[in-house]
Amino acid sequence: MNEFEKLEAELKELRPLPPSDAFTARLEEALGDAGNVAMRCLPDQEDDTSPNDSIKNIKKKGFSSRLLVFAGLGSLGLAAVWAAIFYLSSSLVPNGSSEQNDPANPLIAESGPTPEVPGVGLLEDPNSPLHGISLKELQDVSVMPVSGWIDPQINQRFLRRVDEGVFDRPGGLPARRVRHYFMDETLWSHPASDLRILSTTPREEVIFIELETY
Amino acid sequence: MNIDNMNNEPIWKSWFARHGAKLLLFARQQSRRPDEAEDLLQEAFVRIWRLYGHTGEVAPGLVYRAIRRLAIDWARSIDRRKAREDKVALDSPLSFSFDRTLEQDERKQALLRAVERLPAEQKEVLTLKIWAELTFDEIARTLDESLNTVASRYRYALQKLKDWVPEEMQGKPQDSSSTAS
Repeated sequence: MNEFEKLEAELKELRPLPPSDAFTARLEEALGDAGNVAMRCLPDQEDDTSPNDSIKNIKKKGFSSRLLVFAGLGSLGLAAVWAAIFYLSSSLVPNGSSEQNDPANPLIAESGPTPEVPGVGLLEDPNSPLHGISLKELQDVSVMPVSGWIDPQINQRFLRRVDEGVFDRPGGLPARRVRHYFMDETLWSHPASDLRILSTTPREEVIFIELETY
Repeated sequence: MNIDNMNNEPIWKSWFARHGAKLLLFARQQSRRPDEAEDLLQEAFVRIWRLYGHTGEVAPGLVYRAIRRLAIDWARSIDRRKAREDKVALDSPLSFSFDRTLEQDERKQALLRAVERLPAEQKEVLTLKIWAELTFDEIARTLDESLNTVASRYRYALQKLKDWVPEEMQGKPQDSSSTAS
């Protein structure tokens, strides 16, 4: 046994005082964006980047399991709404009138003038988000409620970070460019019908970190 | 509208929770004044993390080295009169940097008093070896000294502590300047 081993063990038992919380907060402020470049997922979300993220997130937030298939159904629901809108617009609007209002369509410019006679279905519903289609028609065709939705829940998930290297900036210090990839999720819920619609949108953020040479 | 924050944490926080206390101890040892230690650590840590933090892991030795070099730079920048005044603060008890619960343990107190008596160059090697848990190779690079030099300083320091702790326990410490080598 080394003659100093006991002494070394005694010294190691002495614990240096940790930095104060105030100092750590000061450090965080001083780091700024550089402190957020490298992130780690906390243990309960380490598997967030798997393909089934949406479903797992919903599970974690306590939604019932039968609603897990909702993500797919929600997409189908949205598709149904748009199909209905298309159907309504083609069936309720008089022939040619919808095209006539579209200045981007080159075919319209060549067609002759058509009298603007509004159809029966074009009665304006001030509460409807779609011109010429009342809320009731929208609800009947889409089989989805148009009112009673609660405020959507928005969740942004950090996916990955890509270091794109150091860039020289004219008239400034060189900077490291780091790109963050996020997935923004929006969940609409309709408690009365137990419907949920989940929308996911990818997003990127680019951060420049000034480099100091030391 | 309910916006859920990402359940992610910046890596520097867990890194600093692991190494912060040791770094601060070293910064206290290197700084001229006790209140300068945090500034020294902040400056060194921010510089190194900005350079290498994107990798998610930074070798602690880089921060120790930055602390030491900054301390030298800062010491050079202050005038000589101020340096003489600060020399008093430099000799402030190291025990303030450790957990106070050890105040109940007479031997540990004696050990700390003995550590305080060590020459600065031996004290910094001891700090880096025992509390920073660096290898001799890392210590040599941190202090810009040879491997043999730091290993010798460490051994001298331990030898002195072994001799001095019993003296400290008996309350008869000798003059450190006469025993330091």
